[in-house]
Order: sequence, then C-alpha cells, then structure tokens
Amino acid sequence: MLQTVSVNIVRIVFLILLQALVVSRVQLFDGLIFPWIYIFGILMLPFETPRWLVMVFAFMVGLFMDYFSGPIGLHTSACVFLGFMQTIVQNVLAPREGYDLTQRPTVQRMGLAWYVTYAGVLTLAHHSWFFFMEVFRFSDFLYQVFHILLSTLATLVLMTIGQYLIYNSKGAQV
Amino acid sequence: MKNILALLRRFYLFLLFLALQAIALTMLFRNTRFHGAEFVRHSSDWVGGIYSQRAQLSEYLRLGEINDQLSLENALLRSEAQENYWNLRTELDTLNDTTSIQRYVYRTAKVVNASVNREKNYIVVDRGTLGSVTADMGVIAGGNIVGVVRSASEHFAVVMPVIHSDFKASVRLRKSGAFGSLVWRGGDAQIADVIDIPKNIPVAPGDTIVTSGYSTYFPSNINVGTVEWVDDSDNDYHLIKVRMGADFRRLDHVLIVSDIFKQEQDTLLNKVEQQDAANSKR
Repeated sequence: MLQTVSVNIVRIVFLILLQALVVSRVQLFDGLIFPWIYIFGILMLPFETPRWLVMVFAFMVGLFMDYFSGPIGLHTSACVFLGFMQTIVQNVLAPREGYDLTQRPTVQRMGLAWYVTYAGVLTLAHHSWFFFMEVFRFSDFLYQVFHILLSTLATLVLMTIGQYLIYNSKGAQV
Repeated sequence: MKNILALLRRFYLFLLFLALQAIALTMLFRNTRFHGAEFVRHSSDWVGGIYSQRAQLSEYLRLGEINDQLSLENALLRSEAQENYWNLRTELDTLNDTTSIQRYVYRTAKVVNASVNREKNYIVVDRGTLGSVTADMGVIAGGNIVGVVRSASEHFAVVMPVIHSDFKASVRLRKSGAFGSLVWRGGDAQIADVIDIPKNIPVAPGDTIVTSGYSTYFPSNINVGTVEWVDDSDNDYHLIKVRMGADFRRLDHVLIVSDIFKQEQDTLLNKVEQQDAANSKR
C-alpha cells in the first residue's frame, strides 16, 4: 500500500519535471504538436484508487503543473476534467467480471487495444479541454482541431512507448 | 435501492467535479486578469530555481553559438591589434597620436565544406561578397595560414588551401629571416614544402616558418608551421618539409584577412613592371 502510494507520487513528480524541463521545450512545427505527457501519471493510478482521490490527485497534479507553465488554473481545470472522465471511461471499459483490484491500467495487463482506447479517449478529453480553455476562442477552429488531434496522437505514442520502457512483460514495475 | 445508491455515488462524484472545477476556473480567471504575474512567479520562487538550472544546461548545448560570437569578437580585436596598422610616422619626435592607419581587416567565416584527399583541394566558407569577401584574400585559422580565397559568390567563397598543387606563398624562416616559397606536392595533408632557401642558411627541425608579408594575401609573421625534416639531396637549395599548424581535417572557424592596401601595392608594382617591359623593348 505504502509502496503503491510512493511509486505513484515519485512517478508524477518525475513526469512533471520531464514535461516542464524537456518535453515542453520541444516545439514541433511551430507548436502545432504539443504533447502533455505528464497526464500519464494520472492515467496510471491503480484501479483500486478511491474515485474522489483520483480527482483530488488530478487537481493537485494540475496545480503543480500550473506552477511551471501558463496561468494558474489552466492545467488544474483540465486535470480535474480528466480525473472525472477517468472513472467514467473505466466503468464503460470494465470487463464483465469487473477489475481485478491489483491490476494496473497497463498494456501488459489489459492488452494493447484496451490501453489505447482508455488512454486515447482520456488524452483526447484532457487535450481538448486544455487547448480550448487556453485559446478560448473558436476563430481558427480547424487549426485547433488539428492541433488537438496531433498533440493527442503524440502524447499517446510517447505514453505507450513509456509503458514498454517502464514495465516488463508481466506488467510489474521494473 | 441499489440503483439509487449508484446514482448517488455518481452524483457525489459529479458534485466533487463541479467543486474542484469551480476552484480551478476561479484561479484561472482571476490570474489571467493580471498578465505577467506568472513571469514574476517563474523568476522568484523555487520554480525559478529549477528553470535556472535548466538554463545552465541549455547554455552548455548553445556553446556552438557562443563560439561564433567569441570568434567574431576575436576578429574585431585582431583587426585592432598593433601589427595591422601601417605606420604613418616619419619623424621620431612627433607627438601626434594618430600615427597609424589600419591595413588588415579580419572577418569570421565558417567552413561549410572541405576536401583534403585530392591533389587540388578546396575549402568552401559561408561568407561571400555580401560579407565583403572577395578573391585574393588570405584565410587563417587559429593563427595559422590556411589558404587564399579564389572566388566568391554572394554568400560563399571558395578557398584554395595550402594543400592545393597550384598554391604558392612567400614565407620565411623566423630565426634567420631567409625567404622561400611554400608549396604542396600532394600526399600528407599536414606536410608542405618550403623551397628556394639556399643551402648556406642553416635550417633545423623544429624551426618556425612564418609568412613573409611580401604578398598582399597575408600580414607578416602569421604562423605556417614547424620544420619537420630537411632534404638536402638537391644541390643548391634546401627542400624543407613543414608540418603545418592548421589542421586541414578539422577546420571549423576561419578568419578571412583583407589587405586594404592591396590594390595600391599591386597597381604600383604593375606600373613599374610595364614600364620596365616597355624599356627593354626599346
């Protein structure tokens, strides 16, 4: 239990620093593609995490991220939305017999199709909320849609690669 | 009953969502009213500390750019050095301080392409006529001679390096002051030959060869290299093998030297030569 908590906290701190110091510096096509990989730390919370805790955790993560970039509240808002959606998506995607509580939402445990659906929908939700809150205007709507889709794809690819790097074939953390 | 509980649970989550979202949005809209507040935040507190650590790191990655700036500064300083000024003073007792005018100007350039393995090698640098680089200017790197600009387009110039079979430059032994010619006859890209120095002048391995300043390509006393060994099998002159100071395989930043007096010196020489030719015909 204590180990699970500390692993999740260390992971999110590492991811936020990675996001702020490395990934956010990479400007692909003048910022058309802008992945926010730190949400990986929210998506990877164990299924057994209480749902209120998921949302409070997401709130804290967003606030922490906001300290590094942009106005305070932007990431917080998007992360709270992500945390809320995460419980809904997990319910929709639940296997018939329910989740095994020791399971983690990883490719190795849940399969690639499940993982891509889960992470894809949630990343899209987070990025859409974030980018629309950020610009808050719909004048160049098509560009925004493009921006969101490409960024979501980039985040998803990076997170999936990260999965293979962090977990071994049994789904246990290396 | 079960359904109602489930509904309540979803409802409580939704309420939590609304509450947290309200806090976030309040922060967001209060913050965006004061633009620039986040910059203060970035520079002052612990976030600023983390970011300055990163800035140190990225400065290391920017060293190439910093090098460019430093070599530019070097060129400027070199242009102001005393030996680039032509002494106008004719009387020893003058007190006027404006005693010299500038003769040589240095400009930086970066090597964009170079060959070393052929008989006629060339170096391409990223400065051309737009950067005031024209043909017949000298090229040096790290204080060692590299070659002479053969032609220049708008943005690039082609340099004939010492390691080109047609290259020839006037040099001298620093120790004795004896003059010779620097040529290259293929083979090792670091070894050139100095010819035309008579045998009565002592030369030993390790002696320094510098430019003579006779040609208008280079100022005097620019380093060429050191004597590697001396071949005395020929009867009248030394054949001096010189290990050159410039590493032609690793050229990066070079300086292009232009002689402001070049035209004056050349036309004067031409005029005299033409006069002599006309005299001898007569």
